[in-house]
Amino acid sequence: MKFDKPVTRRESIQRILRWSGCVTLAGTVRLPSFTTSDTWAATDKRFIVEGVGQTDGFSVKELTKKVFDAAGGIQRFVSRGDVVAIKPNISWARHPRFAATTNPEVLTAVIKLCQEAGASRVRIVDNTIHDARRCFAITGAGKAAKETGADLVFPRSSLMKKMKLKGNRLNVQPVFTPLVEADKVINLPVAKHHSLSILTLGMKNWIGAVDGNRSSLHQDIHQSIVDLAQFFQPEVTLIDALRIMTKNGPSGGSTDYVTTKNTLILSDDPVAADARAAMLFGLKPEKIGFIELAQKSGLGTYNFSNLETKKVIV
Amino acid sequence: MTIRHLVWLRRISQTFFLCLFIFLLTESRLSQDTYINYSVAFSADNDIRLEQPVTFFFQLDPLVGLTSLLSGGRLITGFLWGAGVLLLTLFLGRVFCGFICPFGTIHHATGAVRPALKGKRMIQANQKKPEQRIKYFLLLFVLLGAIAGLNLCGLIDPIALLFRSAALSVIPALGAGLRSIFDAMANSDFNILRLASYSSEVLLAPVFGYNIETYQTAWFIGLIFIIIVFLNRIRPRFWCRVLCPLGALMGIFSMTSLLKLKKHSERCTDCNLCTKHCQGAASPHPKQVWEASECVACFNCHDVCPEKALAFSFTFKPELNRKPDIGRRALLGGMLSGLSVPFLGRLDGRQDKTADPRLIRPPGSLPEKEFLQLCQRCGLCMKACPTNALNPTLGEAGMAGFWTPRLIMAQGYCEYTCSLCGSVCPTGAIADITVKEKIERPVKIGSAYLDRGRCLPWSGNAPCIVCEEVCPASPKAIYVKHETVSRPTGEKFEVQLPFVNLKQCVGCGICENKCPVKSLPAIRTISAGESRSLENQILL
Repeated sequence: MKFDKPVTRRESIQRILRWSGCVTLAGTVRLPSFTTSDTWAATDKRFIVEGVGQTDGFSVKELTKKVFDAAGGIQRFVSRGDVVAIKPNISWARHPRFAATTNPEVLTAVIKLCQEAGASRVRIVDNTIHDARRCFAITGAGKAAKETGADLVFPRSSLMKKMKLKGNRLNVQPVFTPLVEADKVINLPVAKHHSLSILTLGMKNWIGAVDGNRSSLHQDIHQSIVDLAQFFQPEVTLIDALRIMTKNGPSGGSTDYVTTKNTLILSDDPVAADARAAMLFGLKPEKIGFIELAQKSGLGTYNFSNLETKKVIV
Repeated sequence: MTIRHLVWLRRISQTFFLCLFIFLLTESRLSQDTYINYSVAFSADNDIRLEQPVTFFFQLDPLVGLTSLLSGGRLITGFLWGAGVLLLTLFLGRVFCGFICPFGTIHHATGAVRPALKGKRMIQANQKKPEQRIKYFLLLFVLLGAIAGLNLCGLIDPIALLFRSAALSVIPALGAGLRSIFDAMANSDFNILRLASYSSEVLLAPVFGYNIETYQTAWFIGLIFIIIVFLNRIRPRFWCRVLCPLGALMGIFSMTSLLKLKKHSERCTDCNLCTKHCQGAASPHPKQVWEASECVACFNCHDVCPEKALAFSFTFKPELNRKPDIGRRALLGGMLSGLSVPFLGRLDGRQDKTADPRLIRPPGSLPEKEFLQLCQRCGLCMKACPTNALNPTLGEAGMAGFWTPRLIMAQGYCEYTCSLCGSVCPTGAIADITVKEKIERPVKIGSAYLDRGRCLPWSGNAPCIVCEEVCPASPKAIYVKHETVSRPTGEKFEVQLPFVNLKQCVGCGICENKCPVKSLPAIRTISAGESRSLENQILL
């Protein structure tokens, strides 16, 4: 390179273009993958697994394990030494039989799977609506934590940090930090009715991950849900539809509104998981505002033909 | 056992009971690791209760039991402890004051760490004073008031006063201070500070609360507490000598005490050490007559006397001690004011004419008249309330109900599946109902009403169903109807308009608490419809 001559503007532009062209070309060349011969990882497609318990008195633990195995095993999502944050929906101090909260059996099963995969820490994280102590106790999350040795993270002011969500509707919002700081996040919602957003599923579960004036989110609920789902992107979503609440949601309070479905839906596509769960209620996914909006924003798809689908029956 | 041992025994006992008091005080809240053991296929309906016997000191306090018996006509749970203390006083004098009372211990310690006065001035201050009759006046005021139907005991009962001050003022103030430090540390950019904040929070939160807790009039409660502690600068154990009605009750009962101070005036060299160290101003000097009812049984005089001129010993002769110096004025004044205060308290019309809409009592509360006969205003229910909704009243319950509990829905709300307040109430002013009873009867504490002008969908400003969403009743007491409304710009849009079904509403106030319209919510809770009252109703 000659240094004695000043570089003209034209030359410098040429040089920049040349270099950037090289970098762009290099970026398009895909390095050969050294990863496993796993059929799942070989494809780029996202997956959805539906597990159904059909025998009487089937084991929830077994169903959970089989559902994860069908997706390539929990090792695919959780590596040795990871800090895993599980976000169940335990917002209401309601007894598990009312289906207002994530089934503690599923919660326990997922925690145990994470621990078997070598997670260094498993945290149960939810910013509840009712008093957190009572939610932990009554929903059975407290017992799940006690049995497995997982940490119950108590929502408190020092753990709420203002972050930029960069959404269409939500900009700066206090976020429950353990969900952001964890190595891996697993979304573990329950499928139930909601009077404004029609259903409460996986993406809506992130309302329990922020603080601040949460009740104002209802003024534009669908966009708020999508904004949150864009910010919180979990490794995987497991929707608990063992029993679903079909009316009087989201808090319920009567077993009359609870229908047994014995189904678990696992997907790394948040839109697909929600869409499949919506079908359990006999609803079309495109009729539900936030699912439609999320697909439009490119968060995922409810067109199942674009996904690897699998079904597990126990 | 020598007298030296006895003094040390007293100190150990005082420390033990003060620690026990603080322990039970900090345990008067739901712990973070409360959990229900759902072993039987999720069918068990366990109620969450506190593990420790947090009402123990109230059971031990005979004045709480006595006023509840006189005014409410009921024996509180564990009243035998209080009866036992009175029986002990009959034989041993005011040992409760000297050995057990945590408030007395605080005064004693304040005076001992830094004595208020020195030399002659201390001896002068420890002479018996006519002001010491005030406590008998207060005792009679409280007892006669209780008989006439208004129980004001808790305002000045030492256990209730100490519990209220510590639980509603001292601990929340420390907790708020610590929490602001933790929050500042957690927001710092240094990882070490953040970790230190989290770990210290985990350690301290069980004592100082998981959130910032605030209580109406807490500054006033704290101010009174500080003033009472500072009175020890005037003379040692000022509260115990001059003001404590429980001490006065014990003083009257210690007339028959068998444990007496024997004086050998011939040995006395008039050094006045006994008077200088006397905690109760009970005239221990051998040339004065010992005032059994003022003596708090600290045994200091016996301990310090260099000439062995003073000695406590048991005498089994049936001989009464010197009568308590009540004085005619305190006697008549206390009785008259005690008899008149319940009627004065009714003059603001809160009991007879109209109930205050803001006076939402905790679930299971007795009808207002019986409630005021039993409530000790101790603040135990407020400390135990998991949502911080229970607060001491200012004027909502009238003068007669000052500092009794009420729910402030802006701060918290009544959790549908919680009945903790009733389970900790020491006198049963709030009945100990189970969650099942609370839901199935149902126990209503008030009712909600909509302010349509402020409501977002009703006023056409935005869609919102938060009140309906959070309503815990089943079927919901707040229901919605699809309607088309026009925005302020005139454009039409479809919303769900909320309505209240008064038959279903229990007045829990979660709708008011979670309403996005802040400062004055669009849905509010009033006391009308509370199931404890026959008059304060809306529906037929």
